[in-house]
Amino acid sequence: MQATTPDQVQQVNAEQHEESRKAAASIKPGAAQYDVIVVGSGAAGGMAAFQLATAGIKVLMLEAGRLLDPSREYRTMEWPYASPRRGRLPAEEYALGAAEYNMLDRPYGTAGRFEKYRKLLSYSGNTFTHNWLVDEKHNPTTGTKYAWVRARVLGGKTNLWGRVSLRMSDYDFKAASRDGFGDDWPIAYADLSPYYDRVDTLLGISGTQENLPQLPDSIFQRPLKLNCGEQLVKRAIAKMGRHLIPGRAGVTTDGVANKYRVKCAGRGRCGRGCDFNASMHSPTALIFPARDTGNLTVRPNSTVSEILIDPRTNKASGVRVIDSHTREAMDFTARVVILAASTLESTRLLLLSRSADGARGLANSSGALGRYFCEHVMGPGASATLPMLKNRPITNDDGRPQSAYVVRFRNIEDKHPDFIRGYGMQGGSGSAEYPSQAHNTPGFGVKFKRQVKAEHPAQINFTAFGEVLARRENQVELDPALNDAWGIPVLRFNYRFGDNEMKMARDMADTAEEMLRAAGGEDIRVRRDVLTEGWSIHELGTARMGSDPKTSVTNSFGQTHDVRNLFVVDGSVFVSASCQNPTWSILAICWRAMDYLKGELKSGNL
Amino acid sequence: MTIPRRAVVKALGAAAVWPYLSEASAAAFAGIQAAQAPPKLTFLTQGQYATLDAFSEAIIPADDQSPGARAARVADYIDLLLSESDDQTQRTWTAGLALLEAESRRRFKLAFAQLSPAQVEQLLTDISRNEAEPRTPLEQFFKVTKDATIRGYYTSEIGIQQELEYKGNRVLAEFVGCTHPEHGYEPGK
Repeated sequence: MQATTPDQVQQVNAEQHEESRKAAASIKPGAAQYDVIVVGSGAAGGMAAFQLATAGIKVLMLEAGRLLDPSREYRTMEWPYASPRRGRLPAEEYALGAAEYNMLDRPYGTAGRFEKYRKLLSYSGNTFTHNWLVDEKHNPTTGTKYAWVRARVLGGKTNLWGRVSLRMSDYDFKAASRDGFGDDWPIAYADLSPYYDRVDTLLGISGTQENLPQLPDSIFQRPLKLNCGEQLVKRAIAKMGRHLIPGRAGVTTDGVANKYRVKCAGRGRCGRGCDFNASMHSPTALIFPARDTGNLTVRPNSTVSEILIDPRTNKASGVRVIDSHTREAMDFTARVVILAASTLESTRLLLLSRSADGARGLANSSGALGRYFCEHVMGPGASATLPMLKNRPITNDDGRPQSAYVVRFRNIEDKHPDFIRGYGMQGGSGSAEYPSQAHNTPGFGVKFKRQVKAEHPAQINFTAFGEVLARRENQVELDPALNDAWGIPVLRFNYRFGDNEMKMARDMADTAEEMLRAAGGEDIRVRRDVLTEGWSIHELGTARMGSDPKTSVTNSFGQTHDVRNLFVVDGSVFVSASCQNPTWSILAICWRAMDYLKGELKSGNL
Repeated sequence: MTIPRRAVVKALGAAAVWPYLSEASAAAFAGIQAAQAPPKLTFLTQGQYATLDAFSEAIIPADDQSPGARAARVADYIDLLLSESDDQTQRTWTAGLALLEAESRRRFKLAFAQLSPAQVEQLLTDISRNEAEPRTPLEQFFKVTKDATIRGYYTSEIGIQQELEYKGNRVLAEFVGCTHPEHGYEPGK
């Protein structure tokens, strides 16, 4: 039964905390032998554990947060009026909007009047997901502002992800060779393509064959369909040589061989977690099947504070864990350590750990650790009313797990005079549950009400996601003074959007407006503001892969150049951000790394 | 760095006057809605409630399609949100309601809740004239109330089911797609 009332939600939260305490207490150091420790349980941690456990390797997965009950916590079908607060947080849990976040010190100032600010609006600022996300008051950062959304719960951010599942191409992997900025990846599309295929088949992905070189096709299940508004934009922008395609969703629409998952029935709000588990969520898609092999042990409440290095062998011997509940410190040992704690958290762990010579900053002989931090710049876009769709019959458009995607068109065949790289756009049309255009509809009374209703099926909206260049100077490091609630030094950010991003952002707004105008849109509302750094939740880089140990942290398999039994397999290893959403690539890169790791383990090289 | 509260409010615009609900208030509100009981006010006076109820109904009235803000209990919802909002938000609303009431008495010698439909139309036409960029305090209060009424109404059961005839939250055998050649749909593609 899904929890719906505020009391039920808090009860499930309390029960899962209690379960987690019991589970953590039952897993003590020295009681069992593990081959591999995996830190983190999101997309990368889940994939690593799945690949190893199904190959007969004994895995200990350490998750900093609590366990999660998908059957009760994914409140997919809940109506807004089921909760009288209409999905918003209780009074004591005020959420921050982008404007406030830009103005307040992390964590939101120290003055009493800011005490009420706890959560970022739209990610944790609702009743559906806020129990899974960290409170910045316990997990502060310093330096430049960065809206760092962290999920500490089994499955991490895969419980609330946007499901956009895109392959990267050689326009990304070999971008440096094309435009001269930065470095190429040590792999090409051909290296990753077979692993993308396997991820598609294992997890399920919905989409259409388009044969576009900058966005390679997956092995797709039943596609989503464009509705009328999206079809109109598609036709209009095709004349400009641009492509609007049905959204590619990491959702099984025909079913997969997994007893925890059912195929998509196009119903509710996928971003609260899919109670069918049609959406790829790490717990049901990867962790539970891995656990069923008998080879995976999951220890929740396990905040890893350090990777332990044996100075005699220069190998990782295990990790130090601080129990999030008891605060007790304990060391777990294994033959191999894999970091999948999320971009920035994995890097933070390396920065916190000591190499064989006792110096802080493990696997950092290159000096590249913490650097080349990149992500997606977002915010600019446009919305409009399509007059030819006014008063059309209401359709179920919210039920699709993705709507439409405008494929990158900048710097593919042409060369933009103002910026390098490119952006894609997410968005769509149709009758959404909440008619947000009402706030821009003038007047009052019956005339106002009828206009809102008439224009409800005629709304269209697109938001762009652009590549932020991986620049060496964009960096995270340990703060020398401030610790988090567990006494662990926090990250200090030195990260800013650059000239290329700001020029690209202007073009995003211009082209969004241009495309909606071409489709016949009226009342076009153009958004030009760039959202706060971090708002895309696509943080990448800081432990990048490369062939040269002098300029990179890991090889193409995530194996650190300096410590051969230590791997990083999450978004930290990205060399550049691409403009394609990263999750599907993280899964493929991780699978490839695990195949290599299994071979090395078998050969006795680790 | 600390920032004056005023600056924060200014940066947020209308969002800052949006109130929030506690657990207890939420439960009380659910009970009132379910039972269609008379309002159990937690912040507004009876007089203020009557003004707000009439004001929100004037913004989103009942018509042939569906009931309006009054039946959706929008004023009750705003009252409960206000009960736990900060002082500044509460003052915005009490001052705004007083202004509206004073304007109604100045023009028509009647309480706002007693105005005829034509008088309401006349008054709201005037105070909504600059709603894109409200200038006077009363124009600002119109926009604040309109935004709150939209939020309260279109998240209510009446707003979603009866007015918008929303089709989501149910099983789709097949994804909805456009099949209209006039929109560029090509069969088989």
